[in-house]
Order: sequence, then structure tokens, then C-alpha cells
Amino acid sequence: MRKQLLILPSIFFLLILLIFFYLLIIDRNPSELPSTLLNKNVPKFETESLLKEKKFVSSDVFGKEIKLVNFFATWCKPCRDEHNYIKRFSNQEGIEVIGINYKDNSQKAIGWLKELGNPYSNIAVDKNGRIAIDWGVYGIPETFIVNSKGIIKYRHVGPVTKKIYKKINLIINEIE
Amino acid sequence: MLTKNFLLTKIFILIIAICLMQFFSMGSYGVDPEEILQDQKQELRARNISKNIRCMICQNQSIDESSASLAKDLRILIRNKIKEGNSNEEIYKFLTDRYGDFILLKPPIKLSTLALWLFPFVFLLIGIFVVFWHNKKSKKF
Repeated sequence: MRKQLLILPSIFFLLILLIFFYLLIIDRNPSELPSTLLNKNVPKFETESLLKEKKFVSSDVFGKEIKLVNFFATWCKPCRDEHNYIKRFSNQEGIEVIGINYKDNSQKAIGWLKELGNPYSNIAVDKNGRIAIDWGVYGIPETFIVNSKGIIKYRHVGPVTKKIYKKINLIINEIE
Repeated sequence: MLTKNFLLTKIFILIIAICLMQFFSMGSYGVDPEEILQDQKQELRARNISKNIRCMICQNQSIDESSASLAKDLRILIRNKIKEGNSNEEIYKFLTDRYGDFILLKPPIKLSTLALWLFPFVFLLIGIFVVFWHNKKSKKF
């Protein structure tokens, strides 16, 4: 009886190994957190618009159709990397993309958009990062899907890659 | 034999000394001089709150220790909220509403985190039980 019990620790150990192995191979990013804003209204804010004379008022912009919101800055290298995908959203998929220029120099941002192309229908200026805090943003680039009722349906932290591009399109098709 | 023991003692003392060092070293702080509030009581409150708030960029540091720019923004935000007369609870709620419970370094005791809080004690009890059980058995031999 005692001898048979001795096998228990080995089984237990194997089980732990299996769990670790499983966690290792599944597609998971432990530093990525779910947004607490999911299924909630977009935060209300008012700020300058980067390219337009008129003020950027969130309640005027959100709540009519599906929109992508993309936090970006010229100093952020991954933002440059994802820029082609952001352009594809607005040019090929016909989705309206709202940019939020995070803690950036406005002149530099305008130059950056001239060089790379401007996929944004409107750009809010977040000079001191206060708007980003209301959105729970902690590492730009971050991209949100906002549905036609102005409710946040999806959030992605980090650059949009091919995989994420497909995922966002899929989600937009679902909620449309 | 004696010299070997002497060497071991030396190594042991050295290890203990290294372990104790942390109690005498000052922690590093991310707070910049210009952030500090005039009112010392308010500043102390801000520091105590900051110590419980996780820096979302360097996730095992509190915003009190981190020099990341978001940590700085949050430190300033907390100080502004204190100046505006918000209570500690209101400030914690403001932050968890936006960033979730993860922003608190210590997870709150809730139904969903009960296992997290209780399992260490359960495992301790199991451990004590195993040790006693094992000792009882081995006495027979």
C-alpha cells in the first residue's frame, strides 16, 4: 500500500509539468490586460484637433457608426510599424479611424502623417496624456473598436499585426 | 575538519549579511522634487497611495518607485485629486475603473479572489499534516 502511494508525487509532478507546458505553448501574452472599459461607453472628452480648426468633441464623433480609435505618437516605433495596417483599415475596409496623438509634438505629428500618409478622419490631441488615462491606455500603440452606439467592443495593446488586422476585421463584420 | 567547518561558517555569515543588507539600503523612488506637495500630510497620503498602485509599464514596480512617464502622470494625477479633496477610496476607485483591479499591487479580497487568499493557508495546513503524519510513521521503525 505504502509503495503504491509513492507513485503519487510523480503523478503530481507530471501534472504540474503538463500545466506549465500548456501555458507555454498557448497563445498568451501575460502583460496584456483586458480592458475594464469593454462594453462601456467611450470616455467623454474635449480637446484640440490636430488637423482641423474645430474642436474635437468626443460626443460629436462617437455614436453614429463603427469607429476604430488608434493611440499613436511619432516617438513610438511600433506605431510606425503598424501604420500600413491602419491605412488599410481606412482605405481598403472603409472603416473610419480616429487617431489620438499621445504626448507628442504637433508639428512633428503633422510631418509624420505627411510622410507616411494620413488614415485618420479626425485626430484628437492628447498633450499631457490625460485622455489616455481615461481610456485605460498604458502602452501605445493601442487600438479600440467602438460600435455605432459609442460602446467599446474590443481593445488591442501593441502594434496591429497581420493576425490582429484579421481579428479586428472579423469583429467589425460581426457587430456590423 | 575544523577548517572546513570554519569555512562553512564564514560562507554562512556572508550569505546572512547579504540577505540583511536590504534592510539597511534605502529604496529607490521615482518621485521628482517638483511633484512633491507643500502640505506634508497630503504628500504622505499621496506616497501611501502610490505605493499600492502598480506601474502598468514595469508591472512589478509601484508607481512610487517607477520613473516611467505613465507612472509620473498617475503620481501627479493622484496629488491633484488629493488637493481637490478626494478621499483615498475615491482615488482608488478612479484608477480601478480605468485600469481594473490589476493596478492595485495587492488584489482585493473578493469572491473571485478568495481562492488566491485562502489557498496559502490550506497548503500550510496540508504541509503540517504531512509532516506530522510522516513523523508518526517513521517513529515505528
